[in-house]
Amino acid sequence: MGWKKKHLLGIKDLTRDEIETVLNQAKVFKEVSQRAVKKTPALRGKTVVNLFFESSTRTRISFELAAKRLSADVINVASSSSSLTKGENLIDTLKNIEALSCDIAIVRHQIAGTPHSLSEHTRASVVNAGDGSNEHPTQALLDMFTVKEKLGTLKDLTVTIVGDILHSRVARSNMWGFTRSGSQVILCAPPTLIPKGIEEIEHVEVSYDLPSALKRADVVIMLRLQRERQTSHFFPTLREYTRYFSLTEASAENLKKNTLVMHPGPVNWDVEISSALKERLSPAILDQVTNGLAVRMAVLYLLSLGKEEKS
Amino acid sequence: MSLLIKNAQIVNATGIAHGDILIEGGTIVKITKNIKARDADKIFDAQNKHVLPGLIDMHTHLRSPGREDEETIESGSHAAAKGGVTTLLCMPNTELPLDTQQRVSWVRETALSIGVADVYPVGCITKERKGKELTEFGHLKEAGAIALSDDGSPVENSLVLRRAMEFASAYNLLIISHCEDLSLATGGILREGKTSSILGLQGIPAIAESIIVAREIELARYLNTRIHLAHISCKRSVDLIRRAKRDGVKVTSETCPHYFSLTVEAWEERYNALLKVNPPLPEKEDIAAIKKALDEGTIDVIASDHAPHTKEEKSADLSEAPFGMIGLELLFPLSYTFLVEKGKFSLRELVKLLCAHPAQVLGFTDRGSIKEGKRADLTVVDPQASFVVRENEIASLSKNTPFLGTELKGKVLATIFGGKIVYNSFK
Repeated sequence: MGWKKKHLLGIKDLTRDEIETVLNQAKVFKEVSQRAVKKTPALRGKTVVNLFFESSTRTRISFELAAKRLSADVINVASSSSSLTKGENLIDTLKNIEALSCDIAIVRHQIAGTPHSLSEHTRASVVNAGDGSNEHPTQALLDMFTVKEKLGTLKDLTVTIVGDILHSRVARSNMWGFTRSGSQVILCAPPTLIPKGIEEIEHVEVSYDLPSALKRADVVIMLRLQRERQTSHFFPTLREYTRYFSLTEASAENLKKNTLVMHPGPVNWDVEISSALKERLSPAILDQVTNGLAVRMAVLYLLSLGKEEKS
Repeated sequence: MSLLIKNAQIVNATGIAHGDILIEGGTIVKITKNIKARDADKIFDAQNKHVLPGLIDMHTHLRSPGREDEETIESGSHAAAKGGVTTLLCMPNTELPLDTQQRVSWVRETALSIGVADVYPVGCITKERKGKELTEFGHLKEAGAIALSDDGSPVENSLVLRRAMEFASAYNLLIISHCEDLSLATGGILREGKTSSILGLQGIPAIAESIIVAREIELARYLNTRIHLAHISCKRSVDLIRRAKRDGVKVTSETCPHYFSLTVEAWEERYNALLKVNPPLPEKEDIAAIKKALDEGTIDVIASDHAPHTKEEKSADLSEAPFGMIGLELLFPLSYTFLVEKGKFSLRELVKLLCAHPAQVLGFTDRGSIKEGKRADLTVVDPQASFVVRENEIASLSKNTPFLGTELKGKVLATIFGGKIVYNSFK
């Protein structure tokens, strides 16, 4: 059993073995989810807190349901419904919640590194549910789970990630996960949305040309584009961006027959992906959501077994 | 009142000599071997340790008036004494900025009444540091300012800076420029590059500094006036300054210990707000360039950029945690450890960078060296003594330094300020 970690802060900190352990465990839980009685008692008596400093519905619901399926008690603390306001001391907030004997804190924050800092100040296990532009480890784990399910392997693949790489925690987590698993990652975006020096990372390359990056891909991950990036000069207009970096019927011509196209959701149709491709691509994207639940159950379960050590 | 310092290894930028130093009324009156004890009211045995000219730190933040929870003139003065700093400049970006005669003279008078370090307030270049209207330079000078800066911010408008440089030259006031192109830097947390990309934190590119360095040099060249560039942190800035100096532009510059002792890669170990400093921690190649620049005189001065912040402030998330680290008490140990112990510099060269050069840049003729007739500002150090940086031993009100727990070499043992022993750790 290859799991000893107390916290899940990023894929960057995981070994290939640890990734495999989560995915294998997720497979077990996916089977459980397909039964008539979907609940297991694995986390009975444990308390899980969703501590979301940044608004999120989908990820929070997925974690909440995962915890409930494992019979844990779940508390949701969201920025809109609490005193999690700008300037409040984060450590104080966590200490307060810890005083209620919480076992696992699932943290989302708009700034990279916040879950890491919190993990140094709590007895609870911390799960990073997205920290700024840094990591979103459970998203990458569910992406990897989906890839393994559909393509049978995580090794020797070419994974093309398209879109706002600069601000994307999904891109970073997947980059670490797939490179660690023995695959090559192509980051494809206009130069303004590529982080400086990222190509210095082993097995990572950068491309500004979507058709050629699609041609080589076994897996394509289309990232969500936030429209407000336009006002910060990352691209001139949405029209200009989509003309060159959107997956359209025309650019999809470059895909290999078995290439798996994914998206962390929710898709801005006609921005990242043309709505003409909706019928063709939607099923796989929804599979990701289903798999997300199993992966999050696996993460919560493994952390509850994790040793009391500082990771 | 006279003080006799016996058995000193007297270190000047020009050489080291063994001898005794006799001080009368705050001035060095005699340096020679074997001065008789009966000639003095009080004896201080330096026990053959090294005695340096009092360090001159031309870049600190004492936070008063306004943020006395971070630092006060008094705590800052004691931190200086403990760090062997006898003269310091404090920057005007206090909560109530030092843009009026009253505030400048309040800082100067307060420090004088405390009397453990010579504190010179730097006046604002523009009112409220907004970069729009000039302050009253002559009045600020009369109140005790010897330099002007909007430190913490650049003077963004080139015309405003031009007028400031022209006007300041009439009063022989030094303009100290904080070189930062805000359009490139704002929102960033650490140096842009591989590390920032790995960590998913917004970067600050090195060009945010060097672009403004280039502008300041062009202005100084055109106007033929002086400018001093604060906290230089990158290779491109060094290259531009070297070229300018060769061309005869009246530019001087400073760097800080954290720009030759830590690299941006320190962030990869841990997300740590104590590493957040502006300009941000450099790359390895910048450190090499900065050391070379210090060696050849392209960078004139080492200053601390002592920037106290409370624990509470530094424990906010990384975007809200303020920039800066304390440095007054670590100025000598860090410089000694990283330039002498781990580098190729000599103790004499350190004295040049920490005493003689800042005196020159600031126009002090009464300090910066140990000579008969100079002020009796002296710092006794033991270069061989090592110590671990501990929070409870820091005199500053704030303890924000990434060097906590680090073992350093080069300890300040005692500080004499105007002939008075203001810090003494001798047994």
